[in-house]
Amino acid sequence: MNNVIECNNLTHYYGKKRVYENLNFHVSEGSILGLLGKNGTGKTTTINILNGFLQPRSGECLIFGENTQHLSPRTKARIGFLIEGHIQYSFMNIRQIEKFYSGFYPNWKPAPFWELMSKLNVTPTQKISTMSCGQRSQVALGLILAQDPDLLILDDFSMGLDPGYRRLFIDYLREYAKAENKTIFTTSHIIQDMERLIDDLLIIDFDGVLAQTSVNEFMGSFKRFDFVLENDKTDLKKASFVVNLDKVKNKVELYTYSSESIVKKYLDDNNITVSNFAQVKMGLEDAFIGLTGKY
Amino acid sequence: MWKSVVYKEWLKIRWFLIGYTLLGILGIGYLFLTVKHGFAFSGGKNVWNSILFMGYQFFSPLKYVPLVGGLTIAIAQYFPETVNKRIKLTFHLPLGENKALLMMHAFGAISLLLSFLVFFGMFAGFSLLYFPVQMVTDSIISIFPWFLAGFAAYFLVALIVLEPEWKFRFYYFVVGGFFLTIYLNSPVTGAYSPANSGLFVLTAFLSIALLFSAYRFRKGEM
Repeated sequence: MNNVIECNNLTHYYGKKRVYENLNFHVSEGSILGLLGKNGTGKTTTINILNGFLQPRSGECLIFGENTQHLSPRTKARIGFLIEGHIQYSFMNIRQIEKFYSGFYPNWKPAPFWELMSKLNVTPTQKISTMSCGQRSQVALGLILAQDPDLLILDDFSMGLDPGYRRLFIDYLREYAKAENKTIFTTSHIIQDMERLIDDLLIIDFDGVLAQTSVNEFMGSFKRFDFVLENDKTDLKKASFVVNLDKVKNKVELYTYSSESIVKKYLDDNNITVSNFAQVKMGLEDAFIGLTGKY
Repeated sequence: MWKSVVYKEWLKIRWFLIGYTLLGILGIGYLFLTVKHGFAFSGGKNVWNSILFMGYQFFSPLKYVPLVGGLTIAIAQYFPETVNKRIKLTFHLPLGENKALLMMHAFGAISLLLSFLVFFGMFAGFSLLYFPVQMVTDSIISIFPWFLAGFAAYFLVALIVLEPEWKFRFYYFVVGGFFLTIYLNSPVTGAYSPANSGLFVLTAFLSIALLFSAYRFRKGEM
């Protein structure tokens, strides 16, 4: 499968503060990839580099084979970009903004835009600045759908949206992407939203990439075991299979890619007595926190 | 494509441009009412005496009118682009970033030019009703740099508003302020005669200054 996005050895600093070093990832054609990470790990930095609004210190990102620092107009026409906060030209009304953008895209399809607008309680002459955040998100999404891009880059699409609009946004987007074989690269602070939308995930932390795989594979292999230690001074962090450990007194949440038998064998081999040992089912948000830690 | 660019820019500046032009027309009308008043109540002899021997410039109230126009149009056009870094939307349009900006800039400058042409035409036409050609020519030489100052202000404000860093905005503001004083220096009628062509070239160079701010924005300066 072709890579729509390919970032190689991406390194960026803000002054002396390192954002990341030698970050490598790719997004395959037709997939929906979510970039997950805590605040400050470089999600928006990556989006800015992908859109050519930021020059990385070293490394490069390619979209449809072109360096993102010098995207040709033809390639830009194939990319739909949602800015964080669903920013659009708020001095326009929805009729004006549709007219404005339609002049740039030869494949402009007004139907999806007006279909979405018909779901909103707005008039064609109502200025975008007077709309709610949820309504503005639908305007921004409608414009992207009308543009009919091959790749959608969405920066924190759930920001400011109430649960209803988030659900509308996600369901509409996923159905559209799957039906039309579109590629999506997205970030969001709300992991539950991502779980509903994405096929693949890329989790970054201050140390680099923690995981890049499909959501199903990640959720199938990443596990959480809860148990109670008999001796609360026991140190489990040295165990090679431990990815993360959350310990409060003698209660332990252990996160690992290893199987239950390996964990139990380690405990037995090291004469560590535990009680209430159980594997806990996780959602994507639990797994994300388990992998990256709470702090 | 260019029609869409013009459409967006027109939506941003239309009321400011129309309002400014109407106010300018009223201002020039008032200026010549004052001239007429001077001829009627003080007598032509006294008006001539003031102009020829006392340095009276009947057109001096016009001095800052083009400057105000340049500032107004530039702010109306570029400030909305910087709110929430909306300029990213422009840079993401399927045309070259510099081309998109220059199209926006050309539209703003041409709008300003049309407004100035109305003022200039009114000024020249009314002046010829009251004064001989030689005096009108000297007056036009005097007000020409003021109109250039209007364009220079437009170009400099675009540079400042699009600049992503406040520190640089301050530097540009100081340097830009200095540049503008060059256009508005001498109060002597016709004094700018040898300098006008140089000022025209300087203004033409300033017209592309905003590309530097755009370049810095795209590099990720903040």
